[in-house]
Amino acid sequence: MIIKKRKFTGGYTFKNFKGEPSDELVKPEIPERVIIPLKQGFGDEVNAAVKKGDSVTAGQIIGINDESISSPVHSTVNGTVEDIKKAEYFGRLINTVVIKSDVTPDFKPHEAGTSSWKNLPEEKLEEVLYMAGVTSLGRSGIPTRYKSSAILPGEVEHIIIDGVQSDIYNLSLTLLLAGKGLNQFIEGIDILKAIMPRASVHIAVNKYQKSIIKKIDESADNRKINIYPLDPKYPQGYDEVIIPTILGREFPFGFNAFNMGIIVLDIQAVLHVYEAVVLKKPLIERLIALAGPGFTENFHIKVRIGTQIDYIVKNRVKPDTSLRYILNSPLWGNTVTDLSLPVDRTVNCISCLVEDRDGEAFSFARPGISKDSYSKTFAANYFPFKKTINTNTHGEERACIFCNYCQDVCPSGLVPHLLYHYVERDMVDDILLRYRIFNCIDCNLCGYVCPSKINPAMYIKQGREKLTGMGINPKESVLRRFKLKGVKENKQVNSEYYNGDKS
Amino acid sequence: MKNLKKSYEKLYKIKPLMRFKTIISTLEGIVFGTSEITAGAPHFVDNMDIKRYMSIAIIALIPSAAAAVYFFKLHAVELILVSYISGGIAEVLFALIRKKDIEEGFLVTGLIFPLILPPSTPLWVASVGIIFGVIFGKELFGGTGRNIFNPALVGRLFVTISFPQIMTSSWQLPFVDTVTAATPLGLFKTAHVLTPYIKLLLGTSAGSMGETFRIGVIIGGLFLMFTRVSNWRIPFSYIGTVLLLSWIGNFFLPAKIAPPLFQLLSGGLLFGAMFMATDPVTSPYTLPGKLIFGFLAGIVTILIRAFSGYAEGVMFSIIMMNGFTPLIDSFVINLKYRPLRNER
Repeated sequence: MIIKKRKFTGGYTFKNFKGEPSDELVKPEIPERVIIPLKQGFGDEVNAAVKKGDSVTAGQIIGINDESISSPVHSTVNGTVEDIKKAEYFGRLINTVVIKSDVTPDFKPHEAGTSSWKNLPEEKLEEVLYMAGVTSLGRSGIPTRYKSSAILPGEVEHIIIDGVQSDIYNLSLTLLLAGKGLNQFIEGIDILKAIMPRASVHIAVNKYQKSIIKKIDESADNRKINIYPLDPKYPQGYDEVIIPTILGREFPFGFNAFNMGIIVLDIQAVLHVYEAVVLKKPLIERLIALAGPGFTENFHIKVRIGTQIDYIVKNRVKPDTSLRYILNSPLWGNTVTDLSLPVDRTVNCISCLVEDRDGEAFSFARPGISKDSYSKTFAANYFPFKKTINTNTHGEERACIFCNYCQDVCPSGLVPHLLYHYVERDMVDDILLRYRIFNCIDCNLCGYVCPSKINPAMYIKQGREKLTGMGINPKESVLRRFKLKGVKENKQVNSEYYNGDKS
Repeated sequence: MKNLKKSYEKLYKIKPLMRFKTIISTLEGIVFGTSEITAGAPHFVDNMDIKRYMSIAIIALIPSAAAAVYFFKLHAVELILVSYISGGIAEVLFALIRKKDIEEGFLVTGLIFPLILPPSTPLWVASVGIIFGVIFGKELFGGTGRNIFNPALVGRLFVTISFPQIMTSSWQLPFVDTVTAATPLGLFKTAHVLTPYIKLLLGTSAGSMGETFRIGVIIGGLFLMFTRVSNWRIPFSYIGTVLLLSWIGNFFLPAKIAPPLFQLLSGGLLFGAMFMATDPVTSPYTLPGKLIFGFLAGIVTILIRAFSGYAEGVMFSIIMMNGFTPLIDSFVINLKYRPLRNER
């Protein structure tokens, strides 16, 4: 069933940028060494189940903890464990397992999986998903009775599958759902429905992908699946935005989607669910987009999880150029300073932008046929040329002139420049709580649109850190108004999760 | 271009020039563009900057400025030049004292100010006005973005009050050098004469330099709204309120209050609503606040036009509402964000 005309206020559509990944898929050689973080996706860090010197096979569980909220972690190559050490992975100090690989492509399928999964009892199905590591996907995990999420499968009321492509660079839907992909996707949904019988399924799709919407609708048959064609307006893909848009329910900011009995997954996660159950394949491989003008060619690549970033990008980037690598989207991703770091289960995209320190002569007076802007003052707003993207700020920092841009694009209904003025003057106190500083979802749009080149998002983040440092817990005031699930179980996971990056 | 930039950067090494560092770096920003890069997420940013923001405002003022030059020939050019030069000197001096880059906001102030002067204003009066406006309207508050009142209006108000003889009695008709006439609003007030609308639209009636060619003002104002440099809310509620109140007022008090269309097309209402009330710094940032701002400014305009000694009330109403801007904003914000209750 197709349900139309749902949208949210604020946001900005990023379209037609240079460096968008094409539908081509490249499968590189198996890397010689992988580094596997023992905390990937949703959940706590797991304990290592192997020792230094052990030989492992691809698909073998090398980290598991049945006590805490977590999902197992697998070796993604055949080889021997070289080292287990603590390492910093994007702002978090976690244990990592370094495995030297013998470059063979086969993996160990796990026995419990079967194509006739409909005969399996729920319990068995949940075990398959848990042991395959798939349950750590999405920002809130997939609930099973094995503590893979903070709630139980029976408590899930809605499953939302996000294919809105609202980010600047997205995985190609055509590629994901090509060939058998579409049927696998629908079967993956069936499996999810089997373990979460109370849940209704909602699929949000980019409304400009008309043929895909039609195909999904046709293959969904008489399953009760709601399809929502949505405008690919950033940050539509965020849990805090997609849930109010689709279900019309207020989001309890500071909590997680599962506290409302909702889980949000992307299309690739559903495909992983199918692969785990029917193809018996643990979560060892992932489709990643190589995006941004820093690469000589932009395409998708299927890599083993734990592959080091330099192994992926080498020989694929422009030589002799100063580049910036970003894990995931250039809008919210982290800068990769150490290229020897691996990719984990949550990575969708590696972006590479050119560091542009040169500037452009009289840039403010040019028509700008390839310059993107929220204001409609550039020729690019009216012509369909590909837009440039680099790290230059395109202007000097100036005082805030209250132009309202940040306020207009904010998807949470905040006034970013107001919060910026408070934090910048170090007036951090209760008044910021009243102005809902904790409703910020870190989409960074305010920093993008600012003509004065201020980054309110950064100041808001600082303000929140200062407030939490003062011992203020904004969640307490939210609790009364919502009926939330799994709050106690989630306390620890949630706080740690929020300090790190998002999946 | 790269070599040129390198040789320009050598200027920073010459010691005596360092006293004028702000001028050098401002020029570098204009000519070569910035070499700054983003610090973190978002790793790429919008191409819009304050230079372009202000340039767009200037482009929107071009029809009015061109009409002023066409109507009043050399004197209009002289007034614009005097405004830019003397205001520019004040601006640069302050930039040197504060050791910050010269702010682009002045480029708009410097063009708006001569356009709201009577055509026969002596050059020295214009010079005094813009210097006063820049210093007391803007710089003393901390520069662009921190001022409470619109600097061009502060300057205009200062010369109106200081030199009433020159500013209120000497209205010159276009193309004619010597004949002085009353403005359409003045004519209505004293003799109850309604100037034909077509004359008002084309600008062949008496009035301030930039406000008389109203077709150009409307085009410029719509251009600003369309490019998202100004917001439609203030002009909409401001002009809407004036139209509504004058329609009601004209019904009951036809001798005091002129009919709606005449109110719209006479005086500085269009120019003020399109270019000065929409100044983002001095008008409310909250969207309902913008509507309130325009509504109150409309009431004040009608009251002054109808019942005060002055024929025109746009300037007073905008500057008065500028003062109320923070109050309107905090009123709306406090209504929008109710206090959180910490009940557990």
